[in-house]
Amino acid sequence: MKKSIGDNMIPKDWGFDRGLDLIKKAGFDGIELWLGDVPWFQMSTTDAQVRDLRRRVESAGLVVSNVSTGLHWASPLSARDPAVRTQASRIVERQIETATLLGTDAILVVAGLVTEEVPYNEVYQRCVDALKQLGEKAARAGVKIGCENCNSEQRFLLSPREFGQFLSDINSPAVGLHLDVGNIHDTGFAEQWIEIHGPKITRIHLKDVLKHRGRCGDQSVYTNLFLGDNNWPAIRSALTKVGYDGWLIAEMEARYRYAPDQQFFDTAQGMDRLISGRF
Amino acid sequence: MGMTRREFLSYGVAAGAMRAGVPLSPPLRASPTCCWIVSPVPGQCSLPESARGYRAALPPRGAMAPAGEPCSLLIIPALVCFDRHLVVWIDRALQRGATVIVESGAAFAADSSFRDHRRALRQGLQLDVHAPVDLWAERSGRIPYIDYSWPHRTRVRDFSRVVPVGKQRGEVIAWQGDVPVALKRRVGQGTLIYLGSPLGPALWAGDAEARRWLHAIALNDRV
Repeated sequence: MKKSIGDNMIPKDWGFDRGLDLIKKAGFDGIELWLGDVPWFQMSTTDAQVRDLRRRVESAGLVVSNVSTGLHWASPLSARDPAVRTQASRIVERQIETATLLGTDAILVVAGLVTEEVPYNEVYQRCVDALKQLGEKAARAGVKIGCENCNSEQRFLLSPREFGQFLSDINSPAVGLHLDVGNIHDTGFAEQWIEIHGPKITRIHLKDVLKHRGRCGDQSVYTNLFLGDNNWPAIRSALTKVGYDGWLIAEMEARYRYAPDQQFFDTAQGMDRLISGRF
Repeated sequence: MGMTRREFLSYGVAAGAMRAGVPLSPPLRASPTCCWIVSPVPGQCSLPESARGYRAALPPRGAMAPAGEPCSLLIIPALVCFDRHLVVWIDRALQRGATVIVESGAAFAADSSFRDHRRALRQGLQLDVHAPVDLWAERSGRIPYIDYSWPHRTRVRDFSRVVPVGKQRGEVIAWQGDVPVALKRRVGQGTLIYLGSPLGPALWAGDAEARRWLHAIALNDRV
């Protein structure tokens, strides 16, 4: 397995190249590029500029592990407004295009967003419909769309069997699961998601989660590896069971308040320990 | 729109194929005298799921008439812009005694498209509508359901925005709060129904009450 980390983790005042140096020095093999989340990679970034990003990544001794985006939180594929939906599809298309330019074969999509206003059944149908079409485009480009399990935030596809039905309804070999082992919280166990979805997993986000914290025990909070309640030995065993040998991508939502570069080294070492299977 | 009537009619959908919705209500059995056409206006894809919703809710085959043929129920889903060819078709269907459902797709349209929509409705079908209302602009904690009073009382999820109907000839058949959002009117031998809140997306999502509402109309050719 190979280690990657998002470019949105790079401290804001560092810049892309200094961030790449840090990621390489910390021991990562690759970098996850977040479309729309960082100044150097926006929807308006041209193809030539994207090629230059790839050149800089490779000059630093890294490769691009995948293309992610947070833009779908504001422009979901499940929106009722056709104009928003068109923009959401355009974002996925741009992810596919840039993935090809960056030499990677995977993108992350937050598929749908259930809200008070837009109910579950609508979101489900609209996402299946959109991803059938986008899956065809991804297949032609040789790229896989990984739909992320943002269980609590999306209020959508809460169980692994339901997620499996969703992928089955889309019925595209180019659409799979981008699994985030920290997002499952109280709705299940990451190791079971890995066992159930196995070959349909396109990439894996790593972070830990502290369940039932806060004064009233009613909050889950994200944290660094091994500080939370994920069962890491079980997760590692499940990865071995299904033969997952792809990218592990650190997505640390809680940031070090001081010495932000230290978090890169600590995270890389934690990932090495996970990969080694020594607990 | 730059097309002939023949071209327009050729876009009419003669056979439903989509079975997207979860069958939350019993399947509809068509009577021999009952047939329908779901015909989105070509070139405008404002709410593609709306046409799919109607097709999924109506029987997939057998009772659907070829486009342009006489039918007991004609549905124009998610309508924004249209021309005189459509008006002629609607009027002919009404004169033959059909029920025609014109579903507005203009609530999300740009201002200029909505103005065209309103003008075309007024000139072509003598329907008066008001500017779209965003039902979720103020978060009240309440779900703004659409309450239908005809053909039976029922309640269906809103679709975020509605096109209210103005005071005019005909009977208001649905309300969102105190805002009238659907109207029916006898025209010739038939009945014209204007829906200011799209029903198709709810049908597509498998909404049981929306299906019962449509079935009640589809099965009764003398509404």
